[in-house]
Amino acid sequence: MALKEELEALRDETLAAIAQAATSDALEEVRIGVLGKKGTLTAVLRGMRDVPAEERPVVGKLSNEVRDVIEGALEEKKAELKGAELAAQLEASAVDITLPGRAMPIGSEHLINRIIRECTDIFAGIGYEVEGGREIETDWYNFTALNAPKDHPSRSMQDTFYIVDRSGEVSNVRGESDVLLRTQTSGTQVHVMEEKKPPIYMISPGKVYRHDVADPSHLPQFHQIEGLVVDKGITFGDLKGTLDYFIKAFFGEERKTRFRAHFFPFTEPSAEADVSCGICGGEGCRFCKHTGWVEILGCGMVDPNVFENVGIDPEVYTGFAFGVGVERLACLKYDVPDLRMLLEGDMRFLRQF
Amino acid sequence: MLVSLKWLDTMVKVPDTLQDFCDRLDLTGTGVEGVEKLGANLEGVRIGLVKTCDPHPDSDHMHVTTVDFGDGEEPTQIVCGAPNVRAGLKVAVATIGTVLPGDFKIKKSKLRGVESCGMICSERELNLGSSHDGIMELPEDAPLGESFAAWRGLTDTVLDLEITPNRPDCLSMKGFAREVGAMYHVPWHYDPPCDVPGPTNAEDVRDLVSVEIDDPELCPRYTARIIRDVKIGPSPQWLVERITALGARPINNVVDISNYILFELGQPLHTFDLRAFPKGTDGKHHVGVRAARDGEKFTTLDGEERTLTSDMALITDGENPVALAGVMGGLDSEVTDTTTDVLLESATFSTAHTSRTSRNLSLVSEASIRYERGVDASTCDEYSAIAAALIAEVAGGTVCLEVVDEYPIRTERAKLTLRPDRLRAHIGADITDEEQFRILTDLGCDVEGKPGDTQVEVIAPTFRPDLTREIDLYEEVLRIYGMDRIPSTLPGGAHAGGRTIDQQRIELMAQTLRACGMNETMTYSLVPAGDMDAARMPAEGRGEAVELINPMSGEQSVLRRSIIPGLLRSVAYNQSRGVFDVQLFERGVVFGAAEGRKSPKERTMLAGVLAGSFTLPGWNQKAQAIDFFDAKGIVDNLMRELCVQKLQFKALDADEAPWLTPGRAASVIAGGRVLGWVGEIHPLVCQAFDVEGSVAAFEFDVHQLLGVTGDMRPYVDVPVYPGIEVDLAIVVAEDVTAERIEQCITSAGKKGPFESVRLFDVYRDDERVGVGKKSMAFRITYRASDRTLTSEEVDKAHERIVAKVMKATGGEVRS
Repeated sequence: MALKEELEALRDETLAAIAQAATSDALEEVRIGVLGKKGTLTAVLRGMRDVPAEERPVVGKLSNEVRDVIEGALEEKKAELKGAELAAQLEASAVDITLPGRAMPIGSEHLINRIIRECTDIFAGIGYEVEGGREIETDWYNFTALNAPKDHPSRSMQDTFYIVDRSGEVSNVRGESDVLLRTQTSGTQVHVMEEKKPPIYMISPGKVYRHDVADPSHLPQFHQIEGLVVDKGITFGDLKGTLDYFIKAFFGEERKTRFRAHFFPFTEPSAEADVSCGICGGEGCRFCKHTGWVEILGCGMVDPNVFENVGIDPEVYTGFAFGVGVERLACLKYDVPDLRMLLEGDMRFLRQF
Repeated sequence: MLVSLKWLDTMVKVPDTLQDFCDRLDLTGTGVEGVEKLGANLEGVRIGLVKTCDPHPDSDHMHVTTVDFGDGEEPTQIVCGAPNVRAGLKVAVATIGTVLPGDFKIKKSKLRGVESCGMICSERELNLGSSHDGIMELPEDAPLGESFAAWRGLTDTVLDLEITPNRPDCLSMKGFAREVGAMYHVPWHYDPPCDVPGPTNAEDVRDLVSVEIDDPELCPRYTARIIRDVKIGPSPQWLVERITALGARPINNVVDISNYILFELGQPLHTFDLRAFPKGTDGKHHVGVRAARDGEKFTTLDGEERTLTSDMALITDGENPVALAGVMGGLDSEVTDTTTDVLLESATFSTAHTSRTSRNLSLVSEASIRYERGVDASTCDEYSAIAAALIAEVAGGTVCLEVVDEYPIRTERAKLTLRPDRLRAHIGADITDEEQFRILTDLGCDVEGKPGDTQVEVIAPTFRPDLTREIDLYEEVLRIYGMDRIPSTLPGGAHAGGRTIDQQRIELMAQTLRACGMNETMTYSLVPAGDMDAARMPAEGRGEAVELINPMSGEQSVLRRSIIPGLLRSVAYNQSRGVFDVQLFERGVVFGAAEGRKSPKERTMLAGVLAGSFTLPGWNQKAQAIDFFDAKGIVDNLMRELCVQKLQFKALDADEAPWLTPGRAASVIAGGRVLGWVGEIHPLVCQAFDVEGSVAAFEFDVHQLLGVTGDMRPYVDVPVYPGIEVDLAIVVAEDVTAERIEQCITSAGKKGPFESVRLFDVYRDDERVGVGKKSMAFRITYRASDRTLTSEEVDKAHERIVAKVMKATGGEVRS
């Protein structure tokens, strides 16, 4: 029975060695030492041929049992060590998750273009087309066709930039030129009405120019969004309802609008629209000069003279028009202290939006 | 215009709540720009009774008084230096805390050791007159303890109103009272400030003065009166109060009255010293109205010598100018202390000429403001009579009989048609016929017709030159009825809208550039004339500079022909503020003029600049300096998003693109169109724009981009069978481009199972690769769509490609 005892001793030794193995490598050494080609158990099993035949079944069974036990213990220990090693590895790879992420910085949209896009989306949603327009206009489109009086101060060189006319024609306005940088997007109204038949539902965002030195509240170039509707049966109530919808969509449902009678040459009746102050909610504060209201835009019913200038019968069609200052909307929404920032390209400003 | 509510209240009932009144004014078209409370600084001045009055123990002229305010409190001790202070006198006392005119704050103090708790006031201390002989002695019935200002009626509220240019009638107290009457549908009335006619003499002014108007267009009506034997002196208190409340400075009684009538009735008047008009051979004073001569000089009463043009109108003494018609009088003809006889002008002048004269001379007066909007000619005489009577009453003297009245162009009342149904349809509210008529009547119109008529005739008053068309009546009805009462509706018509395909694609361009890390900006369209030279950009293809006739400065004298110079200025702006990583783009219009073209060409461009690096050096990455390939990579992404096919980059040489660094400049081409360029900005250009380091940039013509933009990319099957990648490194001469080799590989691969090729390394080494040579490594992917390739197939295909490329480029395989 020496072999039997030998097997049992080997089993106990091996199990102890397995229990002591601290790493996968150490465990593998134990396995090779016992189960490898030159391993101790392998040697024992090789010695079976010297065992008397009558003992073989007993010893064979025992040796198989010992091998199974050892292999089981090895598997178990291997799994245990693997788990521990993974845990250690995970622990070692933990990072300070407050360190900055690694991202390709995404660019920003210019504030003015953002506002124009938002407004365009609102009007596109209620079926308005978007019209482009030229930044250089003639006196006719910018003033005359819009019913502006011949001697209106806005036509003067103090207010409007005129450009050199290279057509060789003899100019008749102010003896110089009737080509100018448009001072309002309203000329688009005239172009669209000349080119298209009613019904017309359009907006036209664009850049306009005034003879103003750049300072915190003025720019020689800024943006307007012109709106024009021409259809049968359009009423002043439609104008109110449309702008009410726009102002709520842009500023928020809780905001109120009011319309004040005003005067513009190209609309009649004319009005200015106010939105309830977003700072005080209409109670009155410094921002709204204690009125509770902030002026947003000018609007009105299209003047019959303008219709006649473009060959639309004012007895058949009526319409309304409005013009919104984009920089004004931007300032109301974001409280930008100095309009010049919009044109400086300062990365620290641009990246805020 | 300034409006005194105290004055207004004499004509129409002013609403009790100021805020409601202002709101209603705002809504009906009269903007309230400011509210000033007069007399507010006299709030602490109260009426007191001097109880006791004893000589100051330490002064030979001061008295120590106690003053009672009738409030049951102990009398207040006040030291007073006035000679007329005495017990039993009612006085005006500035109590502690009052701030008197001149920012003089009343504090508790000691005068020669005696405590004094206030000040007994003289007229001058309250800014009520010049008397400083002693304290004001108030009548016995002055109410003890009350506010002095309230008792004397010194408190007033003055509104600063924005009158729109179509409403000249509102530029007077009378006209504004009418407006308020219509706003609230309440009665209003106007009473002249004196009996008309006042004291008269026996002379007939028509025997004394003749008026000649050269051109009736300049002056539709001119009336003249003469007031004899006036005494020039200060105006009475009521007159001073009224005209100062409306912003005029008191001068003398005659001038003040002309201002008073202007404010009250909106009729500008001019008072001349009759001596300024020498008698002619017919024994009459001659008044002429004529156009000025170009270059004619005239000194206005502000002492400025003005150079006139033939567009301006003058009042003359028959020959020489005495006033700039409708704008300002002359220095030599004004009423002075020695004036005894006054010639009173009440006239109307051309709106357009007055407006241009005022603008061209930068000379704005209360008269010019009214004349350029339109003064009602039909009341010139009536208002002149009131003014003459008031002068005679206030300044003494007598008015000559009758009036000289030249009235070549008579003002007629406009007759308009009103269709009440159409008004309702236009406004979108059920405003009854009766209400429409009532509003128009309240505003001074006559309505001929009755409720229910399809149309009625409305006769507009002469003081409303703006009412010329039916639509003008709609506006009047709407604003008085109240815009707030009109129900809000949305138009009902069927229509569809949205952005056009091109507008959507332009948005996509901006979106893609933002996704690439570019920040959108805007720069000035107005730029210095030397911009293109500084940027080394030729005029070719960009047109001539568009010049402004009236630039504000040399820095902004022409319109931009490229967006790049503006973007370079922004790069420099950032760098000068310590921001070195700059990635900017702009979509905007550039302009180009051409001889014979009236309106310059406008092109929308998309341009970008990159400087510094994309990322800050971080804990886990290095900041990599931006170069040509960053810009090119962005262009690649942009073209991918726009589905541009057959994109090509073609090297631009120094002659073709002098603004770019030679060897780092490419033209971007697709579908036979030049879309734009990409490259690094020439160092000399950077220097000219104060930009440090290198700048990579691109510029595209948006119209060209839209021309090659595709709807979609075609679908290609996702591979099912594995691909095999084989690397090929070849050594070629420097002038062999990557594009050339890729084209060779692609064309050689066409016959076999070739899929794609990608450059992954470029390596130079004089020893290992050779001088003037470079090694380029490509990864070639082979794949068949229907089977897994065998290595024999791949080897065969690869060998063919290698052989072709070597032959075509003269390169050799690097081992």
